[in-house]
Amino acid sequence: MKIVNYYRKENINTFLLILPWIVVLFLFWLYPLIYAGYLSLTKYKTLTNQTTFIGFQNYIRMFQDELFWKSLWNTVYFSIITVPVTLIISLILAELVNNKITRFKNFFQSSYFLPSITSLVVISLIFTNLYSPSGYINMLLRYLHIHTSARGFLLSKSTALNSIIAMDIWLSVGYYMVLLLAGMQTISQDLYDNAKLSGANFWQQFIYITIPNLRNTIAFVLMIDLIKSFQVFIEILVMTKGGPLYSTTTMVYYIFENAFNKEDLMGYASAIAYFLFFLLLILSFFQIKLADKK
Amino acid sequence: MIFPMFWMLLLSLKEYPERYSNFIHLIISKFTLLNYKDALKSDSFDIYFFNSLLVAVFVTLGNVLFCMMVGYALARKNFKGKAIFTSSILGVLIIPSHVIMIPLYRLMVKLSWINTYWSLILPWVVTPFGIFLVWQYLKSVPIELEEAARIDGASFWKIFFLIIIPVSRPILTVLGIYTFLGNWNSFLFPFLFTNSESYRTLPVGLTFYLGKQSIDWGHLMAGSSISALPIIILFLIFQKQIIKGLIAGSLKE
Repeated sequence: MKIVNYYRKENINTFLLILPWIVVLFLFWLYPLIYAGYLSLTKYKTLTNQTTFIGFQNYIRMFQDELFWKSLWNTVYFSIITVPVTLIISLILAELVNNKITRFKNFFQSSYFLPSITSLVVISLIFTNLYSPSGYINMLLRYLHIHTSARGFLLSKSTALNSIIAMDIWLSVGYYMVLLLAGMQTISQDLYDNAKLSGANFWQQFIYITIPNLRNTIAFVLMIDLIKSFQVFIEILVMTKGGPLYSTTTMVYYIFENAFNKEDLMGYASAIAYFLFFLLLILSFFQIKLADKK
Repeated sequence: MIFPMFWMLLLSLKEYPERYSNFIHLIISKFTLLNYKDALKSDSFDIYFFNSLLVAVFVTLGNVLFCMMVGYALARKNFKGKAIFTSSILGVLIIPSHVIMIPLYRLMVKLSWINTYWSLILPWVVTPFGIFLVWQYLKSVPIELEEAARIDGASFWKIFFLIIIPVSRPILTVLGIYTFLGNWNSFLFPFLFTNSESYRTLPVGLTFYLGKQSIDWGHLMAGSSISALPIIILFLIFQKQIIKGLIAGSLKE
């Protein structure tokens, strides 16, 4: 009797241990995820608080919506530039730190890492100022007698998205440098010593030793950066609000705009969100495959 | 690399910095703390600061306690449905927060949690990241300690609070600092779930300030500094733990 009691108590207590996750999982993850799928099949009228089921109309509308395609293209463009450039720069930085070529290693590492833990809103505000017509970058260009951007970099269609890309690369190289550095530390130092003995220089060591041995970490960094880049949002919201002329409207920004700044389009926004979800699901699937290989 | 941070501090210490079109003039102009005074007094950054702190502290406390509980159960206990339970934690990692922002917003409206601290704190008091961190850590802690205590007659919760939590201190520090940093900067959900000044966090307050007619960069950068400086200071103190948390977190993602 006593033993049965002990097990019952143990079970109840174990259940109490896992209860917090069960509650949060159902209430704040699963329910919203399913609800988002349902919303994507409805039209929601803000004024009358009325939800009507309309089948796949939102999805059909999406594929016919030029702005949706524009936002998809902007997102893809953002990602295919940001991800490789970030990777290359952070690889080189990590190699520099790892090879102890640079002195002041700690200072170097922390100053590069700092931007990635600072609020993205704050970073975006600073760059809004730097990019403005009277901002520092224009000041510098004027000083060097190079063509300045009269309207500011964020207000002209041809430079807005690229300016945000530049900021994002600056922002995240430190973060990925630290990740790559952790991977580099597992490469045997003997390989480098041998290479140095046979006269290999920095670049040769980098290309023939570091990169091949770091393949898995590199693939992993590529995947997480890609998944992150596909969701670029806050910098757009703060710096350009998707403009000028939709040149910086990314998918998440377009979802946000439809859901919260326009009337009656929450269902449509949910359809785009679900489309994005499936895109990311495919990317995550590849990521998990890669992780398994490790 | 840290030039933009330096730029932020510089502008925050100048009165109407947008007046200067020349870098040298800007630098040699008078330094002042007036912007900080104004930001805190008249632009309600004192309220935003309090809200950011409150949200970050409670989410951190929640994570330390609840992730500890769930992580402990995963590492030491057996229960029905443990396999599904474990994969639910992994599975949630691939749900992007932007996909659920609309239904989550609707949920908060239904619960009447818009403009309350509940909506800013409760959904994030236990996270897959934290659970994994604790789980992995406890795998490396010898089980003998608990068993000895059990034989001595210590109760379930006594073991949890007096043995498991104290031995997990190193990992809870990493988790705590990491969670605090992330939530101090939290923007998206506080931005969606509040529309009254009294519940805005610092980053949300900053974006609304930007929306005003003419931008006073001195004030705005002072507000930004108020938001960024605590993080920079924390980072300088706890650099090791933060980087450890980052590496652990990403490799488990």
